[in-house]
Amino acid sequence: MSTFSYRNPHEDLPVPAQEKLLDDTLVTDDEFLLRKEFGTNPEKGCELLFRRYYVNLCNHAVRFVHSKEVAEDIVSEIFTVFWQNQTFLHVTTSYRAYLYKSVRHRAYNYLKFQMKFSHSPEDQTKCSDSLNPDEALQFTELHQKIEHIIRELPPQCRRAYILKRVEGKKYHEIAEELKISSKAVEALVSRALIRLRKELSSHWTLLLLLFLY
Amino acid sequence: MKEPIMKQLLFDFFDGKTTSMQRKLVEEWLADENNQDTYYKYLDEWETAHPQFEPDAESALQHFQANLAGVTSSTAQPEADNVEHNAILIPFLNLSKWKWAAAACFLIASCFVFKKQILYRSLESVIGKTASYQLSEGTRVVLNSNSTLLVPRFGFGSGSREVFLDGEAEFKVTHTPHNDRFIVHIGENYEIEVLGTEFVAFSRARGKRVFLKNGKVKLKLPEGKQLYMKPGNLFVSDKTGAFNLTKEADPRPYTAWKDQTFYFDNTLLSQVALQIHEQFNVNVRIPDTLLANRRIAGTYKATQADDLLQILSELMQIEITQKEDYIELSTPKIP
Repeated sequence: MSTFSYRNPHEDLPVPAQEKLLDDTLVTDDEFLLRKEFGTNPEKGCELLFRRYYVNLCNHAVRFVHSKEVAEDIVSEIFTVFWQNQTFLHVTTSYRAYLYKSVRHRAYNYLKFQMKFSHSPEDQTKCSDSLNPDEALQFTELHQKIEHIIRELPPQCRRAYILKRVEGKKYHEIAEELKISSKAVEALVSRALIRLRKELSSHWTLLLLLFLY
Repeated sequence: MKEPIMKQLLFDFFDGKTTSMQRKLVEEWLADENNQDTYYKYLDEWETAHPQFEPDAESALQHFQANLAGVTSSTAQPEADNVEHNAILIPFLNLSKWKWAAAACFLIASCFVFKKQILYRSLESVIGKTASYQLSEGTRVVLNSNSTLLVPRFGFGSGSREVFLDGEAEFKVTHTPHNDRFIVHIGENYEIEVLGTEFVAFSRARGKRVFLKNGKVKLKLPEGKQLYMKPGNLFVSDKTGAFNLTKEADPRPYTAWKDQTFYFDNTLLSQVALQIHEQFNVNVRIPDTLLANRRIAGTYKATQADDLLQILSELMQIEITQKEDYIELSTPKIP
């Protein structure tokens, strides 16, 4: 541990030099190599990008949409558009930031559509810190909120929801597994969705503010 | 803030373990645009450490490679806006043909997935109130409290008119010039098929019921069974699918709800509790089986669960206790 301060001379606390150096190098490094690759051979660059981020992006998307298939579709589409529109030529942030943001927005749009979100006046619960909502944080809080709602569901209801949405099973398969009628499974799943919709509605209002400007 | 500390803070934030003050710190840190990339870098590291499932990356990559090969670099088009807006606010007029193609594919796929939501809209009644609707071709529907009817969003078109009922409703079906059938789906494999008539249909968790006032209807049951009903007939089926047809049924128990009344004729208190649940979505429990087996008769007007419970408590001298998420009926202890 040595004092490392030429970068930030005004800082007076010791910073672990080794770690800081390493982190900074990493940031420039992986993006630098990718950028170089895109410069000479964009096709290869896209492929590298895909190999590097596909799995993680799917994992991120599934937190919002709760369906493996939808998550994979969303991510694949982002990569396709990324290539077709040659977005890599115009990205000013890191590729990683661009990809994560795209995943979040697409997942959000899917969710909004799927929840048949309606903007009813009683849902307008205003938070004091929502004047300048920070998108990066809001999205993380959104998927945490979703996770929380699902965790709070009654056990049977949660099982049915997970089997149907995440595992993508058919109603009658779930009915067999849970030993109830498929009508009852349908009711459980729709109850879970109604709960999600209801509890998310206040969140929508916050997020909606983001996209208005 | 020092980077290692920030990293720990962000990881805590992704885990949902930060306090509101720490959140504020993160927010301030993020206000610096240069930190945004770092944020996503840590988010990516966090995702690596917290996998949710294993996507089939290999086959997805093959698809993507096919895509890469199929579309060799065309003329580069400058992006109209900054990155975030790409994914959400699609500037419709500036779309390249690939964007249009992608949008079209997405639209077709979503049309397919959300077929029912797109083709049908739902008519709903709030708890404690009935709701009357007139459908586009003239059929009148009165929905009982806590019920939903799915009707075609874009009119019935030619051929049969189909709707989906969850709950209870009275139908006055109009006869069309082309003798189009009117079909009410009351759960999987249960259909009521009519030309022009009046009937009351009931479809909830505990079973199904159809009471015919006028005309004639055909019931389609599971396993291809069929049944014709005449005026005054009552069809009842329970959860297991066993059913019963009564020739001359008293209409009052099945139509009382239209005047927001309950009709009881030697009805078990346990049945009354069930009806309150269906009507008002209020859970009523009767732990005492002796009490649950007491019977009650009469017509009672009630626009909310409390109205009816009030009457019951006075009439039968029972005690009503509001528990956390249900109401309990019990016999009062004699002091």
